[in-house]
Amino acid sequence: MARDRGEQNREWYATYKDDVKKEGKGFFPYAMLHDTIMGFVVVLVIIGLAIIWYWDADGVEPGVLGPLYTEPADPGTTDFVPRPDWYFYFLFYLLRIFEWPETVVIATVGIPTVLLILLLGLPFYDRSRERRPSRRPVAMIAAVLTVISMGVLTYKGATATEALGSELIVLVPEWAEEKGFADNDNAVEGARLFAVSGCLNCHIYLGSGVGALGAPDLSDVGDRYDQETLVRYLTNPAEFGNTVMGSYAYLGQENLNKLATFLDASTSDDG
Amino acid sequence: MAKRKTRRQQIVDLAVLAPLDWIDERTGAVRGTKWFLFRNVPRDVSWAQTLGFATLIAFLTQTLTGAILAMYYKPDPNSAYESIEHITNDLTLGWLVRGMHRWGASVFVILLFLHMGRVFLFGAYKYPRELQWITGVLLLATGMLMGFTGYLLPWDQTAYWATVVGINLNGTAPFAGPWLAQFLSSGPEIGGDTLAKWYALHMLLLPGAIFALIGVHLYLVTRLGVVSPPWSKEQAGRERPVAEPTGARAGLVRRGTEGGAK
Repeated sequence: MARDRGEQNREWYATYKDDVKKEGKGFFPYAMLHDTIMGFVVVLVIIGLAIIWYWDADGVEPGVLGPLYTEPADPGTTDFVPRPDWYFYFLFYLLRIFEWPETVVIATVGIPTVLLILLLGLPFYDRSRERRPSRRPVAMIAAVLTVISMGVLTYKGATATEALGSELIVLVPEWAEEKGFADNDNAVEGARLFAVSGCLNCHIYLGSGVGALGAPDLSDVGDRYDQETLVRYLTNPAEFGNTVMGSYAYLGQENLNKLATFLDASTSDDG
Repeated sequence: MAKRKTRRQQIVDLAVLAPLDWIDERTGAVRGTKWFLFRNVPRDVSWAQTLGFATLIAFLTQTLTGAILAMYYKPDPNSAYESIEHITNDLTLGWLVRGMHRWGASVFVILLFLHMGRVFLFGAYKYPRELQWITGVLLLATGMLMGFTGYLLPWDQTAYWATVVGINLNGTAPFAGPWLAQFLSSGPEIGGDTLAKWYALHMLLLPGAIFALIGVHLYLVTRLGVVSPPWSKEQAGRERPVAEPTGARAGLVRRGTEGGAK
């Protein structure tokens, strides 16, 4: 009875081929009929979605399936909440769970890579012949858990709301008082820029913001850098070894100066 | 009567069969088509096993609508948004083509997942279909990359900022991350070079990879066959009672690998 797995597999597969040949039905026309009907259903569903999308939306005004397009891309305005297509929501939400400093890599690279390797390797570590779901409890439980967690993450990602810049700007007087720069006009201006420029889509400042992509809390950033260095940092984060954050040079030198003044004033000993 | 029939037969021979033979002799295309169409599948396959074909149809819809969109779309930051507006609002049925492409992408991804779920439930990835499964997982990955690269093309706020985040995500990867982010954004800011690069990925490289993978995937499914539902009482390859036939039928049933499958 101690035949090797390969021989056993070949024997089982030979039985399968034999059965298909003797008892099977023709792919054409029987299976192909089902396929063709299904193909039509798919195309009709796609057309239906397109029609609903188009008739219910008007330009940038969203309908039940969203807008036809949003405003033109503008690197300058930043009270826009970045949002990927729905099938990346799970990844999008994972970023919230893992935070600064190094663990964010687990969400962006670690988990997707592990999932991909687990998927690719599936036929090589699950090698039993058993196909009945009732006899594959481990596989079924793993599958159900995967589906549930993907579903929950997708739902959380879909319903997550980030604060908009226009909402954050009301916090500026509070920040100014807490950090004691209320009489420094440049710093207040910088704080407003900070609120509307999307900084808090990644960073945290005095409890506001997202803390995504490993961006640090900037409440006391003035302890670490001086004004001049901050301008340089904002112009070219890569110079400081930061390859995640993009350059904010497009804000212009004057704005960068204000922003840096605000950040420089954000120290732990004010108050 | 018999003469007429012969003449008709001659015409069919000359106009249809001869050219087909000519092609088949040189390419094997007719034999290939027969091999694909006139094969048996287990008699208990049913609707659950149409998901793969449904995914293929969704992809072909994307190919067709994508090709039409490419005729009117301009991959340049100054005109991309306008060309999208033009396609949606001015072009005859442009809204339909763009809508089908936009929503077809979601349908395609959903079907990819459903198809994978069905294959998993049926245990259809097991011997001898391991490579079938691997090409399928690669198709899922390239399919999602299609969604990722296509999202930027309308060049609206959603597209732009989602891509900023997406590129930053790639940037967090160890070792390759900064290089990958640099490659994807083509410079310090997301602009014309980025758009052209993503357009090329979305239009040439990824669809080419998907077509190749689908080719292998379809070849393998034709060669290896589809499985019966695992709970089916009459599934192909089911365990037989060990008892050998007796009486007059003894010796008539061949078992094992040596010719039973012929």
